[in-house]
Amino acid sequence: MDKQKPEYLRPALISGAIAGVLSGLPFVSAGNCLCCLWIIGGAAIATKLLAKNTSNILTSGDGAIVGALTGIVAAVVDTIVKIPLQPYNMALARRIIDKVSEFGTEMPAGLDGLLEGGSGILSPGWFLMGLFISAAVFAVMGVLGGIIGVSLFVNKKPQASPPAATPPLPGPGDAA
Amino acid sequence: MFRTGISRTVLAIYLLTVAGTAIWLSAIFLAPILAGRGSAGAARFIYAAFSPICHQVPGRCFTFQGQPLAVCGRCLGIYTGFAAGLVLYPFGRGFSKLELPSARFFLLLTLPMAMDGAAGVLGFWASPISVRFVTGVVWGTVLPFFFLTGLADLFLAKRRKVARTLEKIRVNNVE
Repeated sequence: MDKQKPEYLRPALISGAIAGVLSGLPFVSAGNCLCCLWIIGGAAIATKLLAKNTSNILTSGDGAIVGALTGIVAAVVDTIVKIPLQPYNMALARRIIDKVSEFGTEMPAGLDGLLEGGSGILSPGWFLMGLFISAAVFAVMGVLGGIIGVSLFVNKKPQASPPAATPPLPGPGDAA
Repeated sequence: MFRTGISRTVLAIYLLTVAGTAIWLSAIFLAPILAGRGSAGAARFIYAAFSPICHQVPGRCFTFQGQPLAVCGRCLGIYTGFAAGLVLYPFGRGFSKLELPSARFFLLLTLPMAMDGAAGVLGFWASPISVRFVTGVVWGTVLPFFFLTGLADLFLAKRRKVARTLEKIRVNNVE
């Protein structure tokens, strides 16, 4: 019996798009601060969607593939969503940092420069580098989420096939 | 222990993951070192690399040489726990078996961190960095058992597929 190859792309596109939007929106994106909640959660949901649409029992390798794709899609969508929101996000980050600094906590020197430099328009080089780094990091988190999704959502027991019809045993009267 | 195909593949993935984790943890500590030595550009790059996955609020980060680490206390706990899980993996799972941990066990270890995070978001309490770190360690410790198993399963499946394809080519050539 040929094993049908799972269709990874559609669940990854759906879950990755949602995870990317959630990762890009102000305030809502704070979910990623809870150990990449949107990315890992999105990848786990992608595994659930994949399991629904395939008749085979998924392996953890399938979860890894769909999770990685989900992470990459989420990174692309996140980057696109953040483009028009970048000045607002930078201003918000600055307000948070300034608020924390009021309590005497020192801000990392590099972060200050990042906030100053990030308020303007990104050069294509930095844009692509940011996208590449996000895609790599989100893909790794997605792999983890997809594998966790297999553990959480995939039923490992094969579907029980209906018992084969057995012919009735000959009764005492049939022997004659 | 290293004779079977499963063992060698798992061992290779294990060693690569250990190397990657060491680099990841090193980068977290390298950022404040560079910032303290005046290499603001390089420090900025490292802080930016971790920014998609961590809020990096200085008040919630441990400091190293006077500068905040590149990730918060909870994230550091997760990555430290991941490293601890890698140390435990050979003793707990070995390199000859591919089996995911149970979902219940995973949810149980997630609970402390989820409760702490939820309580913080809802404003019930603001946990200290140490509590965030410890809950992160607890959760991070189980992650390698998922990560390594999944990647090993993926690579073994690819190897089997390549082997089948090569066998078909060999049989066709013989005929």
